[in-house]
Amino acid sequence: MFDATNEEISKALVTLAIEKTLINMGKPVLDEVTHRLFANYKCYIPDCHEHPEYLKNVLEELYGDCYNTIVESIKENLGELTTKKSIMNFLTVISE
Amino acid sequence: MQTNLEKLQTKKYLMFSIVGTYFVMLIANLSGHEITTLVTNLLYVPIPGALVILSIIVAKRFGIKGKHGRAWLFFVGLAVSWFIAEQIWLVYDLVYQIDPFPSMADFFYLAGYPFLFLFSIYYLKPLKDAISKKTLTYVSLAAIALLVPSLYMAYDTDSEISAFEFTLALIYPIADAIVLIPALIGLILFFRGEVNFLWSLICMAITLNVVADTGFLLTSMDGSYYMGHPIDMLFLWAYMLFSFGVYSHIQIFKRHRPNIKFQSLDDLR
Repeated sequence: MFDATNEEISKALVTLAIEKTLINMGKPVLDEVTHRLFANYKCYIPDCHEHPEYLKNVLEELYGDCYNTIVESIKENLGELTTKKSIMNFLTVISE
Repeated sequence: MQTNLEKLQTKKYLMFSIVGTYFVMLIANLSGHEITTLVTNLLYVPIPGALVILSIIVAKRFGIKGKHGRAWLFFVGLAVSWFIAEQIWLVYDLVYQIDPFPSMADFFYLAGYPFLFLFSIYYLKPLKDAISKKTLTYVSLAAIALLVPSLYMAYDTDSEISAFEFTLALIYPIADAIVLIPALIGLILFFRGEVNFLWSLICMAITLNVVADTGFLLTSMDGSYYMGHPIDMLFLWAYMLFSFGVYSHIQIFKRHRPNIKFQSLDDLR
């Protein structure tokens, strides 16, 4: 039996929300973000749950100050889960 | 990932292409009317042709899914339409030696505008939150300010042209004014520092194309236009800006080998 903690569930949901947003823009966008995360920080999308600043920096590199629209889309994909503490922390950092 | 060196090189090549075209057209203009017509017509083969190839590459990379994918598909429509239009113009002007206006070329030029408008809408969609109502109002006013004198010029032309030619002369400024709105929004975002230079190249290209179209209308109305007129340089520069804009996207969104993400289930935890 696979027992997931709340933290792991949050991590999976955040990963899904990020991936869904990026793939909606286009597969190469998801690939580029994944590539830059690994090249710059040696991390993957699931790690952005603990390090939202990495994702924020990569999106800023690609879209400039307009990355906020992507953050809004991630928020939309998370829906009512945005009130969960660990997800709120993620969104606070990424929206700063 | 596009490195700073690649960005710098892209800008260097862009400058080189712009200056190169200027000198080619200058030398052609100094060499007589026939050479000018020949050289200018021939320049409209590789320059819009390169845009078609680059747009197909970027559209293939993005596929048909996703907002960017749809945007680039519309862009291919634009590039192909305008390329066909340029080649029809070339055949009429160089081979048949008859005035290409009006001709089938106009059908393809005009067919490009809906593609261009839809592309710019999808292209600017990720930036929509940065666009205020105030910006939209100012930009719309600027487009109207350009449209009114252009329509007046078209209306004020001599009565010898047919109703069809007159209608065509009216449609172009209207189409230009419509595509100018998203293009100016893109430029404003660039000058505010909200998007980088290479992202804004396509918006610069649209704006330059609108300026060139207005110039073309003006010079055609007073009869001073000829193939190889400096106005043609603006059209060619617009194609180049489009091409470098598309090329920068190909560079930014390069294909990457997938990283082996997780060796075991424990890595996920």
